[in-house]
Amino acid sequence: MQAEFDLIAYLSGLVTDEVIAAFNSYLAALVLLAMLIIISKWQGLGIGSKLVVGTIRGTAQIILMALILTQIFEFDNIVLILAVLAVMSLFAAYTARQNLDEIPGVFATALPGILVGGLSVMTIAWLLGVVELSGEMMIPMGGMVIGNAMNISALVIDRMWSNAQKQRGMLESALALGATAYQATELTIREAIRTGLLPNLNRYAALGIVTIPGFMSGLIVGGASPIYAALYQVIIFIMIFLACVIDALIVSRRFLKHMFNENLQILVPFPNK
Amino acid sequence: MTHLLELRNISMKFNDTVLFAGFDLDLEINETVGITGPSGSGKSTILRIVVNLLTPTTGTVLFKGVSITEYEPRELRRKMILVPQEASMFPGTVRDNLQWGLSIHKLHASEGKLESALEEVNLNCDCLDDIAGNLSGGEKQRVALARALLLEPEVLLLDEPTSALDEKSTLMVESAIGSIIAERKIGVLIVTHNPAQAKRFTDRLVKITGEQEGK
Ligand SMILES: Nc1ncnc2c1ncn2[C@@H]1O[C@H](COP(=O)(O)OP(=O)(O)OP(=O)(O)O)[C@@H](O)[C@H]1O
Ligand SMILES: [Mg+2]
Repeated sequence: MQAEFDLIAYLSGLVTDEVIAAFNSYLAALVLLAMLIIISKWQGLGIGSKLVVGTIRGTAQIILMALILTQIFEFDNIVLILAVLAVMSLFAAYTARQNLDEIPGVFATALPGILVGGLSVMTIAWLLGVVELSGEMMIPMGGMVIGNAMNISALVIDRMWSNAQKQRGMLESALALGATAYQATELTIREAIRTGLLPNLNRYAALGIVTIPGFMSGLIVGGASPIYAALYQVIIFIMIFLACVIDALIVSRRFLKHMFNENLQILVPFPNK
Repeated sequence: MTHLLELRNISMKFNDTVLFAGFDLDLEINETVGITGPSGSGKSTILRIVVNLLTPTTGTVLFKGVSITEYEPRELRRKMILVPQEASMFPGTVRDNLQWGLSIHKLHASEGKLESALEEVNLNCDCLDDIAGNLSGGEKQRVALARALLLEPEVLLLDEPTSALDEKSTLMVESAIGSIIAERKIGVLIVTHNPAQAKRFTDRLVKITGEQEGK
């Protein structure tokens, strides 16, 4: 009885004028989503249903996460923080799999890459004193690092798979000369890592001029000194790059198991289009 | 008696469709055997089976009397090199392409050796520094041959080496293959659509049809 009463009070306490205003903006933004869906239908992009499901699921997820975050931000224990980041990694690997549903082994390939890449970078950053041990700093930073690791995992896997389909002849020529799985795909891997890092490298180069990153804005809005916020933004980029590279190295090597069997025969099917 | 290469009772099924069955073939050292058959009959598939790029549904392939499954795939493919139907160039120059085949086996060739490899395939183009992808079809095919020969294989498997070429390039590639057969102590298995070409090169011709070879 007591708990129930508290919950209702808690929930109604959440609905402030500010929330009502944000909800109105949210509804208005659905017009933009509708435009997007119409363009997708019209151009045959085939992303309409992904967008709708993504919006519904994403909204629920992020509201829940925001509520949980206020609790987690209080954490100042490295084990607890890493546990939260590990759960985020699990979810990131699952997301990568959902978006590459025609490719086998995505979850099992991406998870170790994201986990090792994300958690090792966060741990090293903490040990070096780059980030302070607080949920408020480490969870959002870790989230960005993990999100970027997720993207590059998906990109590396997708590239390796589609190149094996498009350039099957080259792959076969390499294997026919006695190449290992890694040797046969080395160039694709390097190209995929570079392509995967490019958007962030561009953002990095235009930092502060074209790119006003959310993390920095958040810190400033939250009352931090602009210089403190700016320095942290550079730090977060460096951490993202390192995590992405570690992730891509792990993912690209582990994914070879799903492209070739132990006799070094190609497992990738012909494209069915 | 042990043959250099022996295919015994090979059959291949893809998704319940039998492509061919009961295929046999022997190849000796210093011998050139042709494989012909209609398009889609499974000629390329046979060459892939020989180097363990595909596993046959039934049957065995013996290289020097030992089943190919006993060999480490990379070692097998160094001794028996398949030059696929469309000779793919790797990124980079002709030199990069020639060295790449060697480097995967931790080998490296001198400049002189690269040049004589190109000479052996009648590619007197002074093109070591050219981008391989920009060469003509006939030149690419010969670079692919040179790339394979640098590894000194004991068996060369050629999949329609001239099917994509015009008459002039065909003659150039043919004369390159001719001199390889004459000068190297190797066995050559060559898939060809072209009966005249088969006559020019091969000691024997094996037809692949739904049924059996017509001797
Ligand atoms: N990995 C594979 N999976 C499924 N089907 C395959 C596979 N490889 C080949 N096939 C099918 O087997 C048949 C024979 O292919 P193959 O390339 O061996 O024929 P081919 O005799 O070399 O033909 P061509 O003269 O046109 O080169 C084709 O119908 C092809 O689609
Ligand atoms: Mg063929």
